[in-house]
Amino acid sequence: MNLKKYFIRALHRLQKGPGYTYKELLVWYCDNTNTHGPKRIIKEGPKKKLIWFFLTLLFASLVFWQWGILINTYLSYNVTSSLSIGFKTMKFPAVTVCNANPFKYSEVKHLLKELDRLIEAALERILQPTPGNSSENTSPPLDLELWHQIPLVLIDEHDKDNPIILDIFESNQTTVGNETAMDNQTKEKKYKLAVKLCSHQGSDNCTYRNFTSAAQAVTEWYILQSTSILSKVPLQERIRMGYQAEDMILACLYGAEPCNYKNFTQIYHPDHGNCYIFNWGMEEEALNSSNPGAEFGLKLILDISQQDYIPYLSSAAGARLMLHQQKSFPFLKDQGIYAMAGTETSIGVLVDELERMGSPYSDCTMNGSDVPVKNLYSQYNTSYSIQACLRSCFQNHMIEICGCGHYMFPLPEGVNYCNNEDDPGWAYCYSSLRSSIRHRQICIDSCKETCNDTQYKMTISMADWPSEASEDWIFHILSYERDMSTNVTLDRNGIIKLNIYFQEYNYRTISESAATTIVWLLSSLGGQFGFWMGGSVLCLIEFGEIIIDSLWITIINVIGWCKGLKQKRAQARYPDAPPTAS
Amino acid sequence: CLTPTPHGCRRIVVSRGRLRRFIWILLTLSAVGLILWQCAELLMNYYSASVSVTVQFQKLPFPAVTICNINPYKYSSMKDYLSELDKETKKALETFYGFSEGKSKVRRSVDEGNGTGSDFFKQIPLLKFEDFSKTATDLRSGKKRKIEGSVFHKDSSIVNSGDSNDIIGFQLCDANNSSECALYTFSSGVNAIQEWYKLHYMNIMAQIPLETKEKLSYSADDLLLTCFFDGLSCDKRHFTRFHHPLHGNCYTFNSGENGTILSTSTGGSEYGLQVVLYIDEADYNPFLVTSTGAKIIVHDQDEYPFIEDIGTEIETAAATSIGMHFTRSRKLSKPYSDCTETGADIPVENLYNKSYSLQICLHSCFQKAMVDSCGCAQYAQPLPAGAEYCNYKKNPNWMYCYYRLHEKFVKEQLGCQQICKDACSFKEWALTTSIAQWPSTVSEDWMLRVLSWDKGQKINKKLNKTDLANLMVFYKDLNERFISENPANTLVILLSNFGGQLGLWMSCSVVCVIEIVEVFFIDSLSIVMRRQWQKAKKWWNDRKRDRSGKPPQAGDLERHGHDNPVCIDEDLPTFNTALRLPLPQDNPLPRTPPPNYSTLRLETAFTEQLPDTLEVGQH
Repeated sequence: MNLKKYFIRALHRLQKGPGYTYKELLVWYCDNTNTHGPKRIIKEGPKKKLIWFFLTLLFASLVFWQWGILINTYLSYNVTSSLSIGFKTMKFPAVTVCNANPFKYSEVKHLLKELDRLIEAALERILQPTPGNSSENTSPPLDLELWHQIPLVLIDEHDKDNPIILDIFESNQTTVGNETAMDNQTKEKKYKLAVKLCSHQGSDNCTYRNFTSAAQAVTEWYILQSTSILSKVPLQERIRMGYQAEDMILACLYGAEPCNYKNFTQIYHPDHGNCYIFNWGMEEEALNSSNPGAEFGLKLILDISQQDYIPYLSSAAGARLMLHQQKSFPFLKDQGIYAMAGTETSIGVLVDELERMGSPYSDCTMNGSDVPVKNLYSQYNTSYSIQACLRSCFQNHMIEICGCGHYMFPLPEGVNYCNNEDDPGWAYCYSSLRSSIRHRQICIDSCKETCNDTQYKMTISMADWPSEASEDWIFHILSYERDMSTNVTLDRNGIIKLNIYFQEYNYRTISESAATTIVWLLSSLGGQFGFWMGGSVLCLIEFGEIIIDSLWITIINVIGWCKGLKQKRAQARYPDAPPTAS
Repeated sequence: CLTPTPHGCRRIVVSRGRLRRFIWILLTLSAVGLILWQCAELLMNYYSASVSVTVQFQKLPFPAVTICNINPYKYSSMKDYLSELDKETKKALETFYGFSEGKSKVRRSVDEGNGTGSDFFKQIPLLKFEDFSKTATDLRSGKKRKIEGSVFHKDSSIVNSGDSNDIIGFQLCDANNSSECALYTFSSGVNAIQEWYKLHYMNIMAQIPLETKEKLSYSADDLLLTCFFDGLSCDKRHFTRFHHPLHGNCYTFNSGENGTILSTSTGGSEYGLQVVLYIDEADYNPFLVTSTGAKIIVHDQDEYPFIEDIGTEIETAAATSIGMHFTRSRKLSKPYSDCTETGADIPVENLYNKSYSLQICLHSCFQKAMVDSCGCAQYAQPLPAGAEYCNYKKNPNWMYCYYRLHEKFVKEQLGCQQICKDACSFKEWALTTSIAQWPSTVSEDWMLRVLSWDKGQKINKKLNKTDLANLMVFYKDLNERFISENPANTLVILLSNFGGQLGLWMSCSVVCVIEIVEVFFIDSLSIVMRRQWQKAKKWWNDRKRDRSGKPPQAGDLERHGHDNPVCIDEDLPTFNTALRLPLPQDNPLPRTPPPNYSTLRLETAFTEQLPDTLEVGQH
């Protein structure tokens, strides 16, 4: 009842209003609207009226079409990039220096003694396959147990279809004799070295990792074996076996201020043993550098003592260094560079930054919290990086599939590193996991890059150092300072000078900004509407008003029609009924 | 001015007062000017591009890596071809510098047989110039002789004529016209002898067929000792031979020739390419190359490796670690910038069997010019169809021609630099190179033994570490930077901006532009008609006045208001003012207001009257 009353009231109100019928309403609208086209429809003569009607219709559809395009453009979240380049006072990058060799050979010799004897004997067999092993008789028996865990095998490929596999220590003398005979005949190398990997010791489930080069095979085999041995050594012991800061960092100068090994933060890196990070910014504030040039950078003198290298583990000698951001973990295998012994290496730095906007503009992560991989490097208190994510992802897979963690990556709680005794099949498992494309793809898909990507572009140049004339006194002083002895304990093969400094232009920043903002969208929408029809938001409101009005009229008409119907019916039923109030 | 929608225009008509109306006319005009200016500006900036940088972390295709020995051909196998030239060179060295080979260098000894040098060594002898008085000593024969003809210096500004006593050079003459000679001088004998040697060397090499040359150069087994990619062993089957005219046999890793391109899914040095190269230093050509090592270039599979131009040199007895960072760029082609997508629109035939690049275009362009003017092709670049390489036997004149042409090319007189455009999209691998000692002193022993075993029994001697080079090429990270240009404007945005301008200054739209056009056309028609009518009327009035002798003054004043010249001849909005001018046509009575606007009629009448009265007052 109330509703009906309201309708009637509304009807009355509307009847006082500008339009009674649709046509009148439209004419009124066209006359009074602020959009340009409709006014002309009613103002002109019949011919022009038609033209203007179609024009208005055309313009209106154009406006709507282009609005669609604009809104689509807005929703695609494009970005524009701006580039800035120049010099400003910046945080000096964190500098990580390591030795290419992880441990002092003199310290780990007791652990690797058996392994070294094995490989030497094996090489002896491979390289001089002449019968008569007189040298072997004199030496103490080899630890063949270690050998059989992951043996090296020779693959004879004279017959392409069924290669003969020869275990170096198991093969009897006749076979070896045959080898040499054929070798002499063909004068052609047909042997390959391979690493035999079995899922369980003694089982038939074995694969052979072929190597075209014996040098690669030996290195790979040695790494697998030594990894297994070293993984059993506790961390404190491993740190002790590595290079100590006071032995490695002989001199340090930052800007005009002296620094020493105490300014470096020690970190244990599985690849390179003890690494030392300058200006990591973990405890103290990061240092700023406000001047370009070598005089204001970091100058270091390092000793890598090449005589103490593990012979089979790393064949390249030098210091490994890397520039990275504060509070980030140094991934030396990826981003590190070498510095050669006996040279002065100068590194000019340009900080290349890329600042991106996060979602929805680009698919990157601000701090890694939205990445579904548990970051194992967070135990170092370092920030998220894509390398950390990939390695954590691999380690997680490794633990899941092989049941133990790989020595090169950090461990989650409650898991142990793999070794030959506890996990005899780990090398097989690791090897198959490492070459599995599927697992790599899973990791690539689940890890996201960081939004702020900083790279240090380096201009590297080298010179011989120390010069022949200055060699004597430099070695003398450095030896004296380190070992407090007048004997020269350093030589050309171990000493490295490093200069790291900012270039004249020390930053290049590419930053993103949204190409289409809501303001841009509104002004473009307004521009379109204005361009074709001279309209504005007010016009839209007017249009809405008209629609409401026409709705009113419809409702009123319908009500009126219903009423009429009712009355008609009533009249039909009671033909003598009194006339209605209307 | 009443029907159309521009706001300023309405104010001109509606405003009272001459000053105010004048200001409104001025404002309207300036608004129109502003609109036109801004729209022109918008149109001019339409073809501008905005740059966007995206970084994508993904599995990256590994680039092709081409590796060459710096020495192109084994010296020992080249002896048959080069013995005469070497003898000549040594003789020159001895006669002039007093250099004789030490006894230790036995392998370079050339049998002293026939002493007669061939013709072309005589043709271009090395000369020592006493001074610039056109006398020179022939380095080989030791005879002094006078140089005739006009003399050109290779680069007179660089040659310091101050100490002219030790200037070495050679003379190239036009074979057909011996009076035209070019003289090339060098400040140092090292450059002179190398350059001179190279000239003859190219002559000799041009005559050797390609198959023979490939055999003379290093085989894949010779060059590559070990190969390791992405944690797996690889061998010579992964390498494609590519014969470079100046660097002999080069080997391209991952050339994509068999249809598959390897990719990396993990960054870091272990997962890249690791090769140990065998650089047989003892077999180097002593005059052609003076440095030892290898040259590598990282390039796209479609790209031609310009080793001689942009190669990176690799040291022996060292591990060179090359970290890569991948950047892909794309520019917008015409009309945004002057670059070419495929090179198809450039009138230079691509002689290389690879995709277009600026370098390819320049080289092809030069080769074409060479064939056109010298009649034969230069040795360092591929052959165009139907041409053959220059050599002395067939083209005795080519060297002179080549030098002249090259000079022109460098000075941009051949027009190659103008024709060739850069490519729109390109891939770039930024390299970070660092060197470590390899093998380390403690691992040297076993490493060399094992590598010798790898090499097999073919060489009997033990390898020396200065014969080896270790090379690692890897991705530092798998982030691909993609720098692309996008059109900053689209048609939609341009129209929006037009609309914004029109709306801001005039509250105008396409509708009112159409109105203006409409009014303009109708008006120009009506003006002509009205003038005709007025003439007729005037003539009628004149005749009437002639009859009555009393001019109707009110009519004159009235016409003053109507025929405001600004309304007819000036800018667009003022044309709108003429819209009411057709009215007199419709109604013969001049001052009848339009019937629809009851309120506005008052105003118009008022404003129309006002200036009239003022005018009257002034009069």
